[in-house]
Amino acid sequence: MSSCGNPTAEEEALMPRRLKFGKSKVCVKCRLKPGNIVIRHAVYCKECFSPMIDMKFRKALEPSVNASAGTSKRPRLKASGNLCLGFSGGLGSSILLDIVHNTYFSSRLPLDDSGKPRGGTNHPRNASVWPSCIVCYVEVCGTFAGMRDQTEDIRSVIQRYPSFDFVPLRIEDAFDDSWWTTVSGSSSIPRISLELGKEGLIADGLCVASQATGLTPVEALRSYLSSLPTQTAISSAIQNFTRVLILHTAYSRGSSHLLFGTSLTSLSIYLLSSISQGGGYAIHEELQEEWAPVTASSSRLSGALRVVRPLGDVTAKECAVYAWWNDIAVVGRDKQRRAILGIAGLTKDFVVGLEKDYPSTVSTIARTCEKLEPKDAPSGQCRLCQRPMQSGIQEWKGRISIRSFSDDKLAADLTHLPSSSRDNLDTSTPSELPPSLALTNFLCYSCHTTLTSRSSRGVKRSVSDVSSAAPLPTWVADHDLYEERLIGGGGLNKVPEEEMHDIVAEFLIDN
Amino acid sequence: MAPTSCSLCRDAKAILKRPKTGQQICKDCFFFVFETEVHHTITEAQLFKSGDRVAIGASGGKDSTVLAYVMKTLNDRYNYGLELFLLSIDEGITGYRDDSLETVKRNQQQYDMPLKILSYDELYGWTMDAIVEQIGKKNNCTFCGVFRRQALDRGANSLKVDHIVTGHNADDIAETVLMNIMRGDIARLGRCTSICTQGEDTIKRSKPFKYAYEKEIVMYAYFKKLDYFSTECIYSPDAYRGHARTFLKDLEAARPSAIIDIIHSGEAFEVKEEIKAAQKAQQTCKRCGYMSSNDFCKACTLLEGLERGMASSVITDRARKKMDAMGPTPENLRTIPLFRSTPTITVEMPSQS
Repeated sequence: MSSCGNPTAEEEALMPRRLKFGKSKVCVKCRLKPGNIVIRHAVYCKECFSPMIDMKFRKALEPSVNASAGTSKRPRLKASGNLCLGFSGGLGSSILLDIVHNTYFSSRLPLDDSGKPRGGTNHPRNASVWPSCIVCYVEVCGTFAGMRDQTEDIRSVIQRYPSFDFVPLRIEDAFDDSWWTTVSGSSSIPRISLELGKEGLIADGLCVASQATGLTPVEALRSYLSSLPTQTAISSAIQNFTRVLILHTAYSRGSSHLLFGTSLTSLSIYLLSSISQGGGYAIHEELQEEWAPVTASSSRLSGALRVVRPLGDVTAKECAVYAWWNDIAVVGRDKQRRAILGIAGLTKDFVVGLEKDYPSTVSTIARTCEKLEPKDAPSGQCRLCQRPMQSGIQEWKGRISIRSFSDDKLAADLTHLPSSSRDNLDTSTPSELPPSLALTNFLCYSCHTTLTSRSSRGVKRSVSDVSSAAPLPTWVADHDLYEERLIGGGGLNKVPEEEMHDIVAEFLIDN
Repeated sequence: MAPTSCSLCRDAKAILKRPKTGQQICKDCFFFVFETEVHHTITEAQLFKSGDRVAIGASGGKDSTVLAYVMKTLNDRYNYGLELFLLSIDEGITGYRDDSLETVKRNQQQYDMPLKILSYDELYGWTMDAIVEQIGKKNNCTFCGVFRRQALDRGANSLKVDHIVTGHNADDIAETVLMNIMRGDIARLGRCTSICTQGEDTIKRSKPFKYAYEKEIVMYAYFKKLDYFSTECIYSPDAYRGHARTFLKDLEAARPSAIIDIIHSGEAFEVKEEIKAAQKAQQTCKRCGYMSSNDFCKACTLLEGLERGMASSVITDRARKKMDAMGPTPENLRTIPLFRSTPTITVEMPSQS
């Protein structure tokens, strides 16, 4: 309907560019020294810049540290568990590591006028906010052949911070039973797979087969990725696996907080990309998340894991300058990984490009999304991305697009088809199994779309690549799917030992 | 290679790949699913009741041409019991709107519907040609958009209709969701995915093509041989919207479901209660009686700027305050007639052939 809007606008019509900086070249903080950097039209000197970033970091993080807000205006910071940092080797997470170390884990205690620690070293004020800190890194070189393993480069960076323990993970751990046993304590793990269509992609029905594929974790990962229908889906799966691997690892190690070094620029890109992939319901989780696995046993002392992005107010430009002026080494990520990004890559190019002409856009996206909340209460947790899931997804999808004439609701409408088409109409659906054997109802909108939404360009796949099923990550096949009769042949399954233990736990004597 | 059979009826030869689902289907099935999906959109949202007088916002473009055709088809097929009108707004753009209105007049004949054309000139005393002459091409879409919305309501009011339907399609809505997020327009973001909106004192507006892809609308017009006017507005320099549209097209190329996925996202979230509470309450314009969130509605503010020769400085609220500081509104200022004053109805009836 909109008849206006022309990307190739005439020069006269475009908004004039604002001046690069405001009225003065003097630092807006100290108002004494000449500025060294312009951040969104405000000028800062080198000395004022780093404290300003540190302050933004603390302002974003510290209200979330204590389990409950309390009544004190300046409460003593004390987390209920350990700290976990998600590290990618990129700019944001490199800075995160440095700021967290300097702020909470360096041995520098606040000093009084006489040069001694204020209140003494044993004063509660000087106690650590978190007892310990782990740094999780997920190596993604297993996704495609020819990628370089950067784990040792990352290890050398983290060794500079002796207070941090390095926990290297690999993206193929998502398909590794031993990893799942470590983080969940579950020993009997069913292997389940999604049936593939004749073109080698996951079939629309998302039918689940319980079978052992005999693949190594790397082979299983590649098999799963190759069965996804779009580049967008592959990129989304890698991002999702990375996130869930870190979440489970952090939770299993007693962390109360998980921090990501997502900058404001990256955050806005993630938000817009997530919305473009149908993830609007979980937009709040994209900003800040309280997470616990659905199968969490009551033995866990602390509550949910709090996921915080304390650099969410710091733009990528500020991060780059901070790293440069503070000599923070950035390992960087393999470029090959960026080449297959789909919607995420398009969104990045778009936001970064838009930032030049409309510099406020980046922060506006994040600010706008902060003002949103999901419309309805969640109906559970998505089995794949482990985020809240809304109800009625399939009804909505069925309502807005007719994909088959077998739907009962269409019976009355079909009388309006021209008689020539109606006479030979086939309303049966031979390829679909009963819905109870499908994963469909256990997935959020975004994950369901990731698995089923096709590209318009078609599929180019050699016959030799095609297998009959794509293995699913271990957490999807967790034991509670037995309860849903999704796998294992209906209600005649053997009840897993952990489940039996959970039921009788309170009656057992621990000795 | 053997021809592919339609993936819906599994009988006829597939002749098109449906942009929305990627399915290869035949022409009859395409017409059926397109029309039935619009019917479902209308019935699920309970947009109309029997006896409603409904105006179709007609610009002569593809969306409104197809909308008029589909509304007439569904009204006859499912006995909605609607009285349908065509309502066009003449913005006064020589070489653009005058040509497209010819298409609307043809539609009036073809579909046998009464047509009402309301011009900016008769309502505001300004044509877009005159506005662009004064302010240049920059920001002219702001004037046109604000004036059009009110003109449609006033035209509908003069036709005594209960409802206006517009041809906004899924691409438009997805684009608007993205735009509102990027420019932080919380109020519009909250309502842009609603199929039906209604101000306190205005007529209901709805978008039956909310889930229809632009490409499918073009496809429908092509196969039905509907004629429409397809030229970009000559004053269309809204570069920001243009950026958003290009981005959306890129997303659609990467994954066609992106359009519907964005709409789903927009429907899944809402503005937090505490933010809603802080928003300005809706009131009526003290000058023309139209709904407004300030003392004066946007159309009156823009018109005052034009009349006082300060049009380019009334785009924002801050600029409005600046104009107020320049002195009081002159008493002899031309203003928009009071809303609900029901101007004389002049409806062109289709000539009997």
